[in-house]
Amino acid sequence: MTNFLKHHPDSNMLVEFSAGSLDIAPSLCVSAHLHFCAKCRSELSKLDEIGSHFLSQSNPTEVNEQLFENVMNEIDRTEHKSTEPEPDATVQHFPAPIKKLITAAKNTLTWQRLSSSIDTAKLFTGQNKFEVALHRISAGGTTPKHDHRGTEYTVVLKGSFSDEQSIYTEGDFLVRKPGDVHQPMGAKNGECICLSALDAPVKLTNPLGFLFRPWLKINPM
Amino acid sequence: MGKKLAPIVDKKPLDNANISVLKGTSMRDDQWSALVVAVGKHRDRKSFAKLFKHFAPLIKSFAQASRQEGWFPGIAEDLVQEVMIKVWQKAEAYDPQKASATTWIYTVARNCRIDMLRRKSNIQHLPIKNEDFWHEPDKDTPISFFRQKRTEEQVKESLSRLPREQDEIIRKVYLEGKSHVETSHELNIPLGTVKSRVRLGLQKLQLLVSTECREDLNND
Repeated sequence: MTNFLKHHPDSNMLVEFSAGSLDIAPSLCVSAHLHFCAKCRSELSKLDEIGSHFLSQSNPTEVNEQLFENVMNEIDRTEHKSTEPEPDATVQHFPAPIKKLITAAKNTLTWQRLSSSIDTAKLFTGQNKFEVALHRISAGGTTPKHDHRGTEYTVVLKGSFSDEQSIYTEGDFLVRKPGDVHQPMGAKNGECICLSALDAPVKLTNPLGFLFRPWLKINPM
Repeated sequence: MGKKLAPIVDKKPLDNANISVLKGTSMRDDQWSALVVAVGKHRDRKSFAKLFKHFAPLIKSFAQASRQEGWFPGIAEDLVQEVMIKVWQKAEAYDPQKASATTWIYTVARNCRIDMLRRKSNIQHLPIKNEDFWHEPDKDTPISFFRQKRTEEQVKESLSRLPREQDEIIRKVYLEGKSHVETSHELNIPLGTVKSRVRLGLQKLQLLVSTECREDLNND
């Protein structure tokens, strides 16, 4: 896949991902980025060496003698492979965990209109900190200018969009925090789909922002 | 180079003669990796038993080191069981070119640990597991076997020589499974300090990639 990504999760986030202490929603975003970014995959495989070292240096602690037998019994019991349902054809090229979430929801995505140029489809991830959703910006679509009340992670899954600072293409990873005001615009040549995780509602800078009801609250699930 | 393996390595030669796949200079030659391959390719129970004997006590100890919220030492053996079952089930996907058996098993243990915690602390059904976030080693990853091997040795060597305050933090993060925020609360130091100590540690381990693609290095 492309190696020209410019926007990556920072090293600290990769460390937390590698150590297994990152929350589900940001982990999903990092994972989606890794799907597109060979550079970060390779960095991550190096970081895992740290954990590996600690595992190999652990003081061996004797386990119950029964444990091996339990494991073998369980292995015999579950030896047949379970087949995973096939995901929706429109999301075939999406990162695996996102496909899995969509499939787990047992339906295709339910898109909800946010404005004339943005639709959103919420994803159930079984946690209560972040609202995780896909956003679809139509070709050339403009989104309302907004600030952030909390942290927003975004990964471009399809197409590209731009804001005042840069152009973001497939795989790019963005973090936006309070004080980061931007106005994303969809690329002219096609729709853009992004994954986002939001731990507080965005803040529309338009004085009439309070009229945009779907933007006013988040619904982590 | 072979001598640098973990001290607990069993010195007995590998008696399973049909594992010639790992012979040759560009191949990983430690016996644990060969055993995982044997389990993956031939569902070989004898190899699996050896892996169990070596890794189960290490995983148990690793599990007991965990200090994550909601974790208690009593479930250490549950974790061992879960990890070893996964090792059996996923051994086929293991690629000795990309990682040592220990590193691979670490990633399995890390995923199982976090999934057990999430299952225990969550009343809702979780539609996704930590292992789903994980990418199987792929051909795209621009890292050669030699570079990978060098990284392994580099990490082992430099970890033992980390300054105390970086070592303390890296341990909290990897062994205890603490997030940066939790680490900062516990050690009563600002989050920014935790982050920069982690990065300094990575620099010492020569694990930090070049600055041009990491905004975070320039920011704070």
